This record gives sequence, C-alpha cells and structure tokens, in this order.
Amino acid sequence: MVASELDARAAEPAASPQSRVRSMRAETREAVRAWLFLAPALLLLGMFTFWPVLWGSFLAFTEYNFLTPPKWVGLANFEDLFADPVFFISMKNSLLYLLIVPAIQLGAIALAVLVNNGLPGIRVFRAAFYLPVVTSVSVVGIMWGWMYNEQGLINAVLQWLHVINEPIGWLSDDRLALFSVMLVTLWRGLGWYMVLYLAALQSIPADVDEAAVLDGANRWQRFWRVTIPMIMPTILLCTVLSTLSAVKVLEEVLIMTKGGPVSSTYTGLYYAYDQGIRAFNFPRALAASLVVSVFCIALAWLNFKFIRPRHR
Amino acid sequence: MRLIVSSLLAFCLFAAGHAGASDKVHVEFWTMSLKPKFTSYFKALVTEYETSHPNVELEWVDVPWDAMQTKLTASIVAGSAPALVQLNVPWAYDYALYGALRPIDDLLGADRANYTDGAIADLTFNGRIYGFPHYNSVNVMAYNTALFKAAGITHIPTTRDEQLAIAKQIKARTGQYGFSPALGKIAGVFLEEGLPLVEHGKAVFNSPAHIALITKLADAYKAGGLLKDKLFSEDNYPASIDAYKSGRMAMLEAPPSALIRVRDDAKNIYAVTDVAPVPIGANGIAAGGWLFLFAMPKGTTGNVAIEAARFAKYLTDDDNQLAFAELAGAFPTTKKAVADPRFQRLRADGGAYEKAMAIGAMRMNVVRTLYVAGVPGFERLNKRLQDAVEAAIIGRRDVKSALDEAVAYWNSKLAH
Repeated sequence: MVASELDARAAEPAASPQSRVRSMRAETREAVRAWLFLAPALLLLGMFTFWPVLWGSFLAFTEYNFLTPPKWVGLANFEDLFADPVFFISMKNSLLYLLIVPAIQLGAIALAVLVNNGLPGIRVFRAAFYLPVVTSVSVVGIMWGWMYNEQGLINAVLQWLHVINEPIGWLSDDRLALFSVMLVTLWRGLGWYMVLYLAALQSIPADVDEAAVLDGANRWQRFWRVTIPMIMPTILLCTVLSTLSAVKVLEEVLIMTKGGPVSSTYTGLYYAYDQGIRAFNFPRALAASLVVSVFCIALAWLNFKFIRPRHR
Repeated sequence: MRLIVSSLLAFCLFAAGHAGASDKVHVEFWTMSLKPKFTSYFKALVTEYETSHPNVELEWVDVPWDAMQTKLTASIVAGSAPALVQLNVPWAYDYALYGALRPIDDLLGADRANYTDGAIADLTFNGRIYGFPHYNSVNVMAYNTALFKAAGITHIPTTRDEQLAIAKQIKARTGQYGFSPALGKIAGVFLEEGLPLVEHGKAVFNSPAHIALITKLADAYKAGGLLKDKLFSEDNYPASIDAYKSGRMAMLEAPPSALIRVRDDAKNIYAVTDVAPVPIGANGIAAGGWLFLFAMPKGTTGNVAIEAARFAKYLTDDDNQLAFAELAGAFPTTKKAVADPRFQRLRADGGAYEKAMAIGAMRMNVVRTLYVAGVPGFERLNKRLQDAVEAAIIGRRDVKSALDEAVAYWNSKLAH
C-alpha cells in the first residue's frame, strides 16, 4: 500500500454514530437470521446428541439404576472400572484392533490403484469390492460365523487341501477369536476406503503425472513422489476414520462371539454395551464409554499430528 | 331446523358413545416375543374376554425379549407401564428387588391353590408373590440310537457322571460329539447339581465337589465329548440343535419342542431318536425349568389392578394354559392342566416328540427355575465365575486355582 493511499484513508471522516448503529443493526439482523437457520439443526443436535452426552457424562459419576434418582459417587465408577480385569482386556483388544488400520489402508490403496484403470468390466470389480460395505453387518456376521464354524467352509477347504487335520475353532479358540473377528472388520472396511482413495486418485490432475514422466520419473517414483503426496489428505481422513472405527468396533463382536471365549474378544465399546444393555449397569457403561471417547480423541490427535499433509 | 335437531341428536349419540368408551377400564398387557406365532391365539382370547367383560378394554403389545427390560424399565420410570407384563423369574426377581413390581397376594386370593406349588414357590420373593404363573418348560434328553449303538452304549445315562463318560465313549468310537451342556449358564449347572454358589454371605464354589464337577467337564471337553460350537455361549440351544439334527451330536438336552424341529428338519435323525428324562442332579431338581409369569408393575392400582388381575387369572386358567401349552409345546402351571391326560398319557402312535411331552409332564413336580438370588452385582460376579470356569474347561488354567481366584474376587465384592 503506497503512502498516498494511507494518507487518503486517514483523511476520511470517521463514521457517524447513526451509520454505526445502522451497521450494528444489520449485523444483528444477519446474526439472528443465521441462528434461525441453524435453530432446527441445533435443536435436534441438542436434544439427541449434546444433551445425552452431557447427561450421560454426569451419570458416569453417579449411582443410578433408572428406578431411583441418581446419587453422586464421584470417581467410584471409574475406580470400579479400572479394577475390572475384563475392562483391561477390552482396552488391550481395542489397541490390538488398531493393527487393522495399516492393513486396511494399504489394502484399500492397492485396490484403488488396481481398479483405477479403464479396463473393460472394471466397474464390476469396483462394485464387488464395495458389496461388503452395503451388506448388513448382521448378515456379514452370520455368514462369517458359518464360514468359521467347525463344519464351515474355511475348515472344509483347509482340510481338503490337507493343510489341517482337525478343524480349527476360529471363533471358539481364545487365541484366535479376536483375529478372526478382525479379519471380518478388515473385509467389511476395504471397499469403503477403496472408494475414498479411488475418488482421491481420480482427482489428481493428469498434467502433474505427465510432468513427472517428462522429468524421467519411473512408475514407482511417480507413485511415491506424486500420487502419495497428492492423496495425503485422504490418507489422513481414512486413517482417522479407520482408527476410530477400530476402537469403536461393536457389531462384529456382538453378532459373532459376544465377547467370548474367556472374554478374549471384548472390546472397549462392547464392554460398555455389555455393561449397559445386558447387565443394566448404566453408570459403569457410561464410565467405560467416557474412557473409550478419551481414547478416541487421543488417537485422532495422534493421527493429525503425525499424518498432517505437508502442503497446506 | 331439521338440520339443527339432527346435529344435536348426532352430538348426543357421539357424546353417549364417547362416555361409554371412557367408562371402560383399559388394561394393557405385554407379552414377550410371542408374535407372530401366537397372534391369532391372543387376538381370539382378547375378543372373547372383551365380549364377556364389556367394561374392560384390552390392549395387547408384544415386545421382543431383548428389548423387554429396556422398554419396561423406561415405562416404569415414565409412569406409563402396562398393567400386566410377561417376564421370566430372574427378571421378575430383579424388578421386585427394586420395588418396581406390585405384590399380588391380595389379588390372587384363593386362586393361589390352582397353581402348582413349584410355580408359586418360584414367584415368591421375600414372602410375597409377584406374578401369575403362565407356562413352564423342562428339559428332556433326546438321543440318537444309531450313534449309541455304534458306540456300543446300551445303558441310558441317569446321572451327569454317566452322561459325561458316555460322551467320551461316543467321541472315541464314532468321532461325533456326546452332548452340549449349558456351560454358558454355569451358575445353573452348579445349582442343578445341588452345589451352592454362596453360603452365609460367602462364595463357596471352590469346594472339592465344585472342583470335581468342573474337572469332569474339562476331561470330557479334552476328550472331544462336548460340542465346541457355542459351548460357552449364554444360549447354546441353536448350535446344539443344529449339531443334533446333522447327526454330529448324540444327545440333545432341550425342551420337548426342540423335537418338533428335529422332526420337521431332519426326518432321518428323528427316525432314530428316542427320548429319556434328563439326568437329575443331587438336589433332585429337573433341569430346564424356566417359568414365565404375568407380573404387575408398580403404579397399577384401583380398578385397573382389579381388572388386570381378573384378566391375568383368565389368561392363566386351566383351559387357556392347556390351549397355549399345546400350541407352544410348553407345559402349563395349573395343577388341573398339568394332570390333563393329553400330557400325562403317551399315545400309542406317538413319536419322540409325544414321548418327550409325556416325560416332561411327569417331571413337572420336580421342575424349578434355578437362578442365583440375593447376590448384589451378580452380573459382574457371574462374569468372573464364567470366565474362570471357561478357562479351566478349555485347559488354559488349572481348575482349582481358577475357582479359588474367582471365589476371592466374589468375596472381596460381597464383603462391601
């Protein structure tokens, strides 16, 4: 800005009180209008999200059974929670569940790269990979339950191939059950992340790749130096989403193992569900939910810290 | 003028009709997962009752069993609970403990004598009766005679020990499983054997008798005598019946109604099925008792309570219980209905199902709903016991140390 412009601005008369009032009124009207537009959504969010979260958080510090008024007990529910070995198993399993995050991300990127070409019939493959995402989790759970059964497809094939002599208890062996359930989550999630990565791949301008070709980069260098940096925001999004999904896994466990055998497939959220819905111990369930929430927030923060895209 | 008169007349008729409707006593009753199989039964029953009791308006609501506790608790808190609700005994006990049910001794009156002593005893908590008994269940033991023959078994087991020994023999000689005990409800297994969980406020399930029972189960598991699928699941019934129907398991402990499924789905297995009473435990109680009742939530008062009680007695009288039991393959809980020849007498042309019903009816005098009462925080304690037993049976832990540790945990909680 040149000096003459600054001088001219300084010479402008100050706004009159009337015009200031008019401007404030206009701003107020605009704010009121904005709040009116936001009100229906805020009302619904308030009723069905914010209020339950606040009330639930309060109840985590009380003794409450629905039939009698809540009684404040401070941190007693949390002390109780941390004294329960099943809760520790649950949180340990939630951490183990994070193993599927890199697997699902690598798998989804590989699939997206594979289906991101113009081969005839490629849409059929895209749809096939996406099918598990739109299939009801109950159906998926029951189907995999059958396949994992002692008389199920997996054991039958392995026995037919003479890989095993006796059927394996995929869901009844406490050393295998969690990994069997994790595989189902991986299978269900691949298609979803594949679609996100596919969209990201297709949004990379062709000229960037062409420029890299002109610079003499080979396919591998183009993938690492061009494609991956360009889809980094999607990698961050997918990693955060899959991390949170892994920590919050519930349905697969509920349908396939109900936490067994010997509590080996309890996860943080399944523990909360089990305490609340089955055992009717709502304060402990809510305390567990709060711990799982803090865990989720911490993991999301770590993701943002370590996978933040460099170009912004 | 004519228009005004006819309008007034119509208004008077409407008002009279409306007044008539509001004079009726509204009785809402909830059943547990009985739709759609029993829809026509209940609709007919409601119509018949409303016709004979014009002062009563009935409203039938069927609630899925897994949503029942949530819905009922919420409705009691909101003050909109039904006048009658169908529950099982442990749930009724829990609600009664919290003061959420109304005792019905005064409403039951002399009709108490109509019901079996076992049913009334099941519903008596702290000296008060908390429900009108509806239907009951009892297990029988169906067995595959072909597998028994192939394994060289000629003696039908009458004790748990014999049954476990036979299970191992079947596995060794035929490669198939013996049976699938309800290990997901280990407290019930102990109680059936007359082994208490708590005595004088202290956990006692690490006694030599408890350890011996779990050790025998662990041995049978190790030998492959017990079906592994869903063995420790709270509900192992679907997996058990599937294994029995496919000829992979020799003995099925289940209510007689299970044999209808075997008959319909696996005719070849049904043809070689025979039925015997389940082995009776040391306390003389037959396994599989699971009584359903109609309870009255608190807040049901005045005319509604009186009419609801009348309706509950009608719903659970001899004729209606017989009709329902026949439809459901269950057992009635009134003395007269249990003694009915259609349960007690075995038809000459009867198959395994009919034999199972006859055997079950004969066992109704020794059937009780077994559950652990009066232990605060039972769900969590039971989880610890369940995990300990499971780890011991599958060989992850030594039986004694697993039970000792669970007992120590129970006692640390029971001491508070």
